[in-house]
Amino acid sequence: GDFQLLDQDGRRRRKSDFRGRWVLLYFGFTHCPDVCPEELEKLSRAVRLLEREPGLPPVQPLFITVDPERDDAAALGRYVRDFHPRLLGLTGSAEEVRAAGAAYRVYASAGPKDEDGDYVVDHTVLIYLLGPDGLFLDYYGRSKTDAQIAQSVRRHMETYEPLLD
Amino acid sequence: MSAPTMEERKACWGARDEFWQCLDRHADDASKCEKLRLSFESRCPQQWVKHFDRRRDFLKYKRKLETEGYHPPEDAGKS
Repeated sequence: GDFQLLDQDGRRRRKSDFRGRWVLLYFGFTHCPDVCPEELEKLSRAVRLLEREPGLPPVQPLFITVDPERDDAAALGRYVRDFHPRLLGLTGSAEEVRAAGAAYRVYASAGPKDEDGDYVVDHTVLIYLLGPDGLFLDYYGRSKTDAQIAQSVRRHMETYEPLLD
Repeated sequence: MSAPTMEERKACWGARDEFWQCLDRHADDASKCEKLRLSFESRCPQQWVKHFDRRRDFLKYKRKLETEGYHPPEDAGKS
Protein backbone atom coordinates (compact mmCIF):
# COMPACT_ATOMS: atom_id res chain seq x y z
CA GLY A 1 0.00 0.00 0.00
CA ASP A 2 0.95 3.63 -0.41
CA PHE A 3 1.29 5.80 2.65
CA GLN A 4 0.84 9.55 2.74
CA LEU A 5 2.71 11.38 5.48
CA LEU A 6 4.30 14.78 6.19
CA ASP A 7 8.03 15.41 6.50
CA GLN A 8 9.71 17.76 8.98
CA ASP A 9 9.23 20.69 6.57
CA GLY A 10 5.52 20.01 6.31
CA ARG A 11 5.80 18.56 2.78
CA ARG A 12 3.53 15.69 1.76
CA ARG A 13 5.42 12.48 1.12
CA ARG A 14 4.00 9.30 -0.36
CA LYS A 15 5.70 5.93 -0.39
CA SER A 16 5.78 6.22 -4.20
CA ASP A 17 7.99 9.34 -3.86
CA PHE A 18 10.79 7.00 -2.83
CA ARG A 19 10.56 4.76 -5.90
CA GLY A 20 13.90 4.56 -7.64
CA ARG A 21 15.73 5.04 -4.31
CA TRP A 22 17.27 2.69 -1.81
CA VAL A 23 15.86 3.43 1.64
CA LEU A 24 16.95 2.55 5.18
CA LEU A 25 13.89 3.01 7.38
CA TYR A 26 13.49 3.10 11.15
CA PHE A 27 10.30 3.51 13.20
CA GLY A 28 10.67 5.25 16.56
CA PHE A 29 9.71 8.32 18.59
CA THR A 30 11.55 11.45 19.74
CA HIS A 31 10.86 10.90 23.45
CA CYS A 32 12.65 7.55 23.25
CA PRO A 33 15.14 7.07 26.14
CA ASP A 34 17.98 5.30 24.37
CA VAL A 35 17.15 2.73 21.71
CA CYS A 36 16.00 5.14 18.98
CA PRO A 37 19.01 7.49 19.21
CA GLU A 38 21.33 4.46 19.20
CA GLU A 39 19.65 2.86 16.19
CA LEU A 40 19.45 6.15 14.27
CA GLU A 41 23.10 6.81 15.05
CA LYS A 42 23.94 3.37 13.69
CA LEU A 43 21.70 3.83 10.62
CA SER A 44 23.40 7.17 9.92
CA ARG A 45 26.87 5.62 10.25
CA ALA A 46 25.86 2.88 7.80
CA VAL A 47 24.65 5.52 5.33
CA ARG A 48 27.93 7.43 5.71
CA LEU A 49 29.94 4.25 5.08
CA LEU A 50 27.98 3.69 1.86
CA GLU A 51 28.37 7.36 0.84
CA ARG A 52 32.15 6.90 0.95
CA GLU A 53 32.03 4.16 -1.69
CA PRO A 54 32.25 5.43 -5.26
CA GLY A 55 29.74 4.11 -7.76
CA LEU A 56 26.99 3.14 -5.31
CA PRO A 57 23.53 4.68 -5.62
CA PRO A 58 22.60 7.01 -2.74
CA VAL A 59 20.66 5.64 0.23
CA GLN A 60 17.78 7.65 1.71
CA PRO A 61 17.67 7.46 5.52
CA LEU A 62 14.08 7.61 6.75
CA PHE A 63 12.51 7.91 10.22
CA ILE A 64 8.78 7.38 10.75
CA THR A 65 7.28 8.20 14.12
CA VAL A 66 5.18 5.77 16.16
CA ASP A 67 4.10 8.71 18.36
CA PRO A 68 2.20 11.10 16.05
CA GLU A 69 0.46 12.63 19.08
CA ARG A 70 3.66 14.39 20.14
CA ASP A 71 5.95 14.07 17.10
CA ASP A 72 4.74 16.82 14.79
CA ALA A 73 6.85 18.26 11.94
CA ALA A 74 8.65 20.69 14.27
CA ALA A 75 9.54 17.94 16.77
CA LEU A 76 10.87 15.76 13.94
CA GLY A 77 12.93 18.63 12.58
CA ARG A 78 14.64 19.17 15.94
CA TYR A 79 15.28 15.45 16.29
CA VAL A 80 16.56 14.27 12.90
CA ARG A 81 19.19 16.97 12.44
CA ASP A 82 21.29 15.36 15.21
CA PHE A 83 21.87 12.22 13.15
CA HIS A 84 22.34 12.79 9.42
CA PRO A 85 21.75 15.84 7.19
CA ARG A 86 19.63 13.82 4.76
CA LEU A 87 17.61 11.97 7.43
CA LEU A 88 13.96 12.54 6.60
CA GLY A 89 11.39 12.38 9.39
CA LEU A 90 7.76 11.53 8.65
CA THR A 91 4.60 12.00 10.67
CA GLY A 92 0.86 12.32 10.06
CA SER A 93 -2.46 11.53 11.62
CA ALA A 94 -2.73 8.56 13.96
CA GLU A 95 -4.46 6.61 11.19
CA GLU A 96 -1.88 7.41 8.52
CA VAL A 97 1.02 6.52 10.83
CA ARG A 98 -0.67 3.31 11.93
CA ALA A 99 -1.17 2.32 8.27
CA ALA A 100 2.49 2.99 7.44
CA GLY A 101 3.58 0.87 10.41
CA ALA A 102 1.19 -1.93 9.53
CA ALA A 103 2.77 -2.23 6.09
CA TYR A 104 6.00 -3.35 7.83
CA ARG A 105 4.34 -5.31 10.64
CA VAL A 106 5.62 -2.74 13.11
CA TYR A 107 4.22 -3.22 16.60
CA ALA A 108 3.72 -0.01 18.57
CA SER A 109 1.99 0.51 21.89
CA ALA A 110 1.98 3.67 23.99
CA GLY A 111 2.47 3.09 27.70
CA PRO A 112 0.55 4.78 30.51
CA LYS A 113 1.01 8.53 30.96
CA ASP A 114 2.63 9.79 34.14
CA GLU A 115 1.56 12.97 35.95
CA ASP A 116 3.50 15.10 33.43
CA GLY A 117 1.66 13.40 30.61
CA ASP A 118 4.90 11.77 29.54
CA TYR A 119 4.94 8.18 28.26
CA VAL A 120 7.13 5.80 26.30
CA VAL A 121 6.06 3.84 23.23
CA ASP A 122 6.99 0.19 23.13
CA HIS A 123 7.77 -0.70 19.51
CA THR A 124 9.49 -3.10 17.14
CA VAL A 125 13.16 -2.19 16.88
CA LEU A 126 14.30 -2.88 13.33
CA ILE A 127 15.98 -1.03 10.49
CA TYR A 128 14.31 -1.92 7.19
CA LEU A 129 15.97 -1.92 3.76
CA LEU A 130 13.68 -0.99 0.87
CA GLY A 131 14.77 -1.44 -2.74
CA PRO A 132 14.14 1.01 -5.59
CA ASP A 133 10.85 -0.69 -6.44
CA GLY A 134 9.60 0.11 -2.94
CA LEU A 135 9.65 -3.50 -1.82
CA PHE A 136 11.03 -4.66 1.50
CA LEU A 137 14.36 -6.48 1.00
CA ASP A 138 15.93 -6.99 4.42
CA TYR A 139 15.88 -5.96 8.05
CA TYR A 140 18.54 -5.38 10.71
CA GLY A 141 18.13 -5.81 14.46
CA ARG A 142 19.94 -4.30 17.44
CA SER A 143 22.85 -6.70 17.17
CA LYS A 144 23.78 -5.73 13.60
CA THR A 145 26.60 -3.18 13.41
CA ASP A 146 26.82 -0.23 11.03
CA ALA A 147 29.47 -2.07 9.00
CA GLN A 148 27.31 -5.22 8.76
CA ILE A 149 24.34 -3.16 7.58
CA ALA A 150 26.46 -1.33 4.98
CA GLN A 151 27.89 -4.62 3.74
CA SER A 152 24.41 -6.15 3.44
CA VAL A 153 23.07 -3.11 1.58
CA ARG A 154 26.02 -3.22 -0.80
CA ARG A 155 25.36 -6.92 -1.49
CA HIS A 156 21.69 -6.22 -2.21
CA MET A 157 22.68 -3.39 -4.56
CA GLU A 158 25.05 -5.68 -6.43
CA THR A 159 22.52 -8.47 -6.88
CA TYR A 160 19.44 -6.31 -7.36
CA GLU A 161 17.04 -7.17 -10.18
CA PRO A 162 13.84 -5.12 -10.46
CA LEU A 163 10.69 -7.18 -9.81
CA LEU A 164 8.29 -4.45 -10.85
CA ASP A 165 8.38 -2.04 -13.79
CA MET B 1 6.72 19.17 26.69
CA SER B 2 9.54 19.00 24.12
CA ALA B 3 11.56 15.86 23.74
CA PRO B 4 15.07 16.05 25.26
CA THR B 5 17.77 17.38 22.92
CA MET B 6 20.89 15.38 22.10
CA GLU B 7 22.78 17.28 24.82
CA GLU B 8 20.09 16.56 27.39
CA ARG B 9 20.06 12.87 26.39
CA LYS B 10 23.81 12.61 26.85
CA ALA B 11 23.67 14.39 30.23
CA CYS B 12 20.98 11.93 31.33
CA TRP B 13 22.91 8.89 30.12
CA GLY B 14 26.08 10.19 31.82
CA ALA B 15 24.26 10.64 35.13
CA ARG B 16 22.71 7.19 34.78
CA ASP B 17 26.13 5.63 34.08
CA GLU B 18 27.69 7.34 37.10
CA PHE B 19 24.86 6.10 39.31
CA TRP B 20 25.17 2.55 37.93
CA GLN B 21 28.95 2.57 38.36
CA CYS B 22 28.42 3.55 41.99
CA LEU B 23 25.94 0.70 42.43
CA ASP B 24 28.48 -1.67 40.86
CA ARG B 25 31.12 -0.51 43.35
CA HIS B 26 28.76 -1.01 46.31
CA ALA B 27 27.09 -4.30 45.36
CA ASP B 28 23.84 -2.54 44.48
CA ASP B 29 23.52 -0.84 47.88
CA ALA B 30 21.57 2.20 46.72
CA SER B 31 21.93 3.92 50.11
CA LYS B 32 25.62 4.45 49.25
CA CYS B 33 24.73 6.26 46.04
CA GLU B 34 21.99 8.68 47.03
CA LYS B 35 23.67 11.79 45.66
CA LEU B 36 24.21 10.19 42.25
CA ARG B 37 20.65 8.87 42.32
CA LEU B 38 19.32 12.39 42.81
CA SER B 39 21.57 13.66 40.02
CA PHE B 40 20.28 10.90 37.73
CA GLU B 41 16.66 11.72 38.59
CA SER B 42 17.20 15.44 37.99
CA ARG B 43 18.83 14.98 34.59
CA CYS B 44 16.39 12.45 33.14
CA PRO B 45 12.64 12.58 32.48
CA GLN B 46 10.75 10.51 35.03
CA GLN B 47 9.68 8.06 32.32
CA TRP B 48 13.31 7.45 31.42
CA VAL B 49 14.29 6.90 35.06
CA LYS B 50 11.64 4.17 35.27
CA HIS B 51 12.81 2.71 31.96
CA PHE B 52 16.46 2.61 33.04
CA ASP B 53 15.57 1.17 36.48
CA ARG B 54 13.80 -1.68 34.70
CA ARG B 55 16.76 -2.05 32.34
CA ARG B 56 19.12 -2.36 35.32
CA ASP B 57 16.91 -5.01 36.92
CA PHE B 58 16.76 -6.91 33.65
CA LEU B 59 20.54 -6.78 33.18
CA LYS B 60 21.07 -8.06 36.74
CA TYR B 61 18.59 -10.88 36.17
CA LYS B 62 20.24 -11.78 32.89
CA ARG B 63 23.69 -11.88 34.56
CA LYS B 64 22.26 -14.08 37.30
CA LEU B 65 20.85 -16.50 34.73
CA GLU B 66 24.16 -16.60 32.92
CA THR B 67 26.20 -17.28 36.05
CA GLU B 68 23.82 -19.28 38.26
CA GLY B 69 21.47 -20.87 35.75
CA TYR B 70 17.71 -20.92 35.91
CA HIS B 71 15.97 -22.05 39.12
CA PRO B 72 12.19 -22.21 38.78
CA PRO B 73 10.30 -20.78 41.75
CA GLU B 74 9.83 -23.38 44.57
CA ASP B 75 6.07 -23.48 44.45
CA ALA B 76 5.67 -23.59 40.64
CA GLY B 77 4.12 -26.64 39.02
CA LYS B 78 3.22 -28.54 42.15
CA SER B 79 -0.07 -30.36 41.76
